[in-house]
Amino acid sequence: MTFEELTTYLTEKFGDKLELLETGKFEPFFLIKKENLVEICEAVKTDDKLLMDFLCNIGAVDTGEKFEIVYNLASIKKHIRFDLKLVMEYKGAEVDSVMSVWIGANWFEREIWELYGININNHPNLKRFLLPDEWDQGHPMLKNWDAPDFKRMPEVE
Amino acid sequence: MTEGLRTEEFQVNMGPHHPSTHGVCRFILTMDGEVIVRAEPVIGYLHRSLEKICENRTYAQCIPVMDRFEYCTSMSCNEVFSLAVEKMAGIEVPEYAEYLRVIMLELNRIASHMIWYGTTALDLGAITPFLYSFREREDILDMFEMTCGQRLTYNYIRIGGVSRDIPPEFIPKCKEFLATVDHKIDDYERMLTENPIFMVRNKDVGNLSPELAIAYGVSGPSLRASGVKYDLRRDDPYSIYDRFKFDIPICHNGDCYDRYVIRIKEMRESAKIVRQAIEQIVDVEPNTGKMVKANFKPAKGEVYSRIENSRGEMGVYVQSTGDTKKPLRVKMRGGSFNQLQVMPELVKGVKIADVVAIMASLDIILPEVDR
Repeated sequence: MTFEELTTYLTEKFGDKLELLETGKFEPFFLIKKENLVEICEAVKTDDKLLMDFLCNIGAVDTGEKFEIVYNLASIKKHIRFDLKLVMEYKGAEVDSVMSVWIGANWFEREIWELYGININNHPNLKRFLLPDEWDQGHPMLKNWDAPDFKRMPEVE
Repeated sequence: MTEGLRTEEFQVNMGPHHPSTHGVCRFILTMDGEVIVRAEPVIGYLHRSLEKICENRTYAQCIPVMDRFEYCTSMSCNEVFSLAVEKMAGIEVPEYAEYLRVIMLELNRIASHMIWYGTTALDLGAITPFLYSFREREDILDMFEMTCGQRLTYNYIRIGGVSRDIPPEFIPKCKEFLATVDHKIDDYERMLTENPIFMVRNKDVGNLSPELAIAYGVSGPSLRASGVKYDLRRDDPYSIYDRFKFDIPICHNGDCYDRYVIRIKEMRESAKIVRQAIEQIVDVEPNTGKMVKANFKPAKGEVYSRIENSRGEMGVYVQSTGDTKKPLRVKMRGGSFNQLQVMPELVKGVKIADVVAIMASLDIILPEVDR
């Protein structure tokens, strides 16, 4: 499936639940809503034409204004790849777990919870794993977080 | 006599400094006698927060940081980040540089599989194979050293090309290596493939079904050992891999022994690719590409690029705002992260000695997990 075919197919299938992002000019990035996440993931995984059975990666982004969560999906049988993206406010940031769709999401989501402080609903094992157990200095991947002894490198011209 | 005797589950800590955990990984094993009931991997001992470091650096400065992401195959780390940024900035890499990249990537894959071969044998109690495989790995590292001056963290593949041309003595040395590598791999096979002890330790141990493997995101040789023919060099082609003829070996049992067989075969296939690349490169005009400057800003956008690494799918997600010289976000994804995640499923009901065999066969390396 080419870029255009994929975009048309997905837009027809999901209608206004899904929107092609302008930043997705290199690869199809679709903006979805938080409340439709699990439903859409389940649908793209079971759809005969897509079969997105492989979850490559989940990554959170702190843009300085909002949180974004990016789901990179791939299909092993159909050789398709596209990405889903969620945008949410800092306050009360939470998202449903997609472990019911791809069980491998477990550690990716744990990492997002640990490093960004985004709460994951329905996750069975939200425990620290990358940071020390006794860590109490907040969420280090946030843009406004700097290590206490951090010195910024001089800007290059 | 046994009447009134109490039995209960107990916990065993394996690691973090266990020699077979290839880095520092700790397993909390809940045991019923000698049999494992539950296993919980504890990671984070090698967490350096490379992703945060990348956010404070310019794109060109990120490449040496990527080297440390997975130091057994630093070339792949350089390549995957360069691919992502080149896609965003619309940079064309010259053909000659692409050939050099493929040669380096495949040599690096062989070197990485040689580490795996040696350490697997070492974990299972055989010392000799380790000495053999490290002898040949040394040849490859020598070639890297004469090209870029480094033996482990190369910083060779850059955004826009490669850092420098290969020296004139590279090609003869590489040809010499390729002429003997197949015999050397035969030697490796003679030591382990039909070794009765090795077979008993590995056959039908840690069976990974294709469904479970895909659900957990297991990729690379470990996935192909379960019978799923999926190789990104063929199925989501990048660079110039479509120009080379090579096979993608697969096995069907998904046990430790199959994962061993796959990696041995892959070394031969990689050698095939390097041979073809060396033949073809002589007809290409030497041009190592123009590397980007420090003030380089790619267009606003985001890309997830992925390549086939020796440990599975290696990917990197890069987001650029378009108005700064630094990436907004760099998220690294290594094959070992998912391979370690599936370990608790595989070690249920086996004995402690098998944990070592399973972990070795999945070829987990901890810097890639902890980042």
